[in-house]
Amino acid sequence: MAQAGNVGAGTFETDFWKDANLRKVWDEIVPGEPRKTIPYVLTREAIELYCKAVGETNPLYLDEAAAKAGPWGGLIAPPAIHIMLMFACTPADDWMRSPGTVNAGQSWSYNIPARPGDTITLQARALDKFIRRERLFVVHDNVFFNQHGQVICSGRGQTIRPM
Amino acid sequence: MSMTFDTINAGDAIDGPSFAVSRESIRLFCDASLDYNPLHLDDDYMKGSFGKTHFGGIIMHGMNNFGLITRMLTDWAGPAGAIHRRLETRWVKPVRPGDMIRPSGIIKAKQVTSKSRWVVIDVIVRNQNDEPVATGEAMVEFPLSKAG
Repeated sequence: MAQAGNVGAGTFETDFWKDANLRKVWDEIVPGEPRKTIPYVLTREAIELYCKAVGETNPLYLDEAAAKAGPWGGLIAPPAIHIMLMFACTPADDWMRSPGTVNAGQSWSYNIPARPGDTITLQARALDKFIRRERLFVVHDNVFFNQHGQVICSGRGQTIRPM
Repeated sequence: MSMTFDTINAGDAIDGPSFAVSRESIRLFCDASLDYNPLHLDDDYMKGSFGKTHFGGIIMHGMNNFGLITRMLTDWAGPAGAIHRRLETRWVKPVRPGDMIRPSGIIKAKQVTSKSRWVVIDVIVRNQNDEPVATGEAMVEFPLSKAG
């Protein structure tokens, strides 16, 4: 399958069926157990692509000169860049990539912006799992850090696991 | 007159821009988010049912709603020197190619804390039939160091 190398995630596997059998199913997910994560260097190209996808035109994300004169003193990423960081910072066998995973809602808190060139790390785990109306839920929590150990954002979400 | 913490009132509305959902916009969001779940790519797969859910065709990423709400909030807060601090959302209805969605917000409450000032906002994304597709709540901080 095609690789999404243009987003700067290197050899990101875009075929989520590949190695799907290596991923944990609901029964195997242990709440509290850390997920394997990988550091990711956030690129301007990845920020620009995200901005294009949601129609962001804010110069703080896209115009270096304007951003330098702005409140953050340089280019930043939109707060919701964690949407792509979630996949950029997790390996192909992570259960978040299981085909049929349905996102049931999320909450995120923002501390400082991510910036292009930041080396982003993720601490993540399943926090809880439960059954509701014959659906299998997993609660996950995640904290993204920059290379200085500063928290960028933290979030919690629920997914319905494929059966 | 520019917006400040003092001029904001509960009940004030925030409007976000409309967003046209298409197969192309969904595919672009796959590339931008690195979320290539077949829910967003594979019509044949989506004809099946999984768990208790049946969609019938590809759907937009729920997080696309999230990104549109974030865009609305940062565009609203930024010029006032305020900072988007939190967003909680849940998805109410699937969004499909051909839908036109639009985020909006209503100021729910203002809160002064010992070291800062906060605005709590009810947010919603509606489709072209005025049906809610996502709902949630956000917090925006108006730091004391900024004028206003």
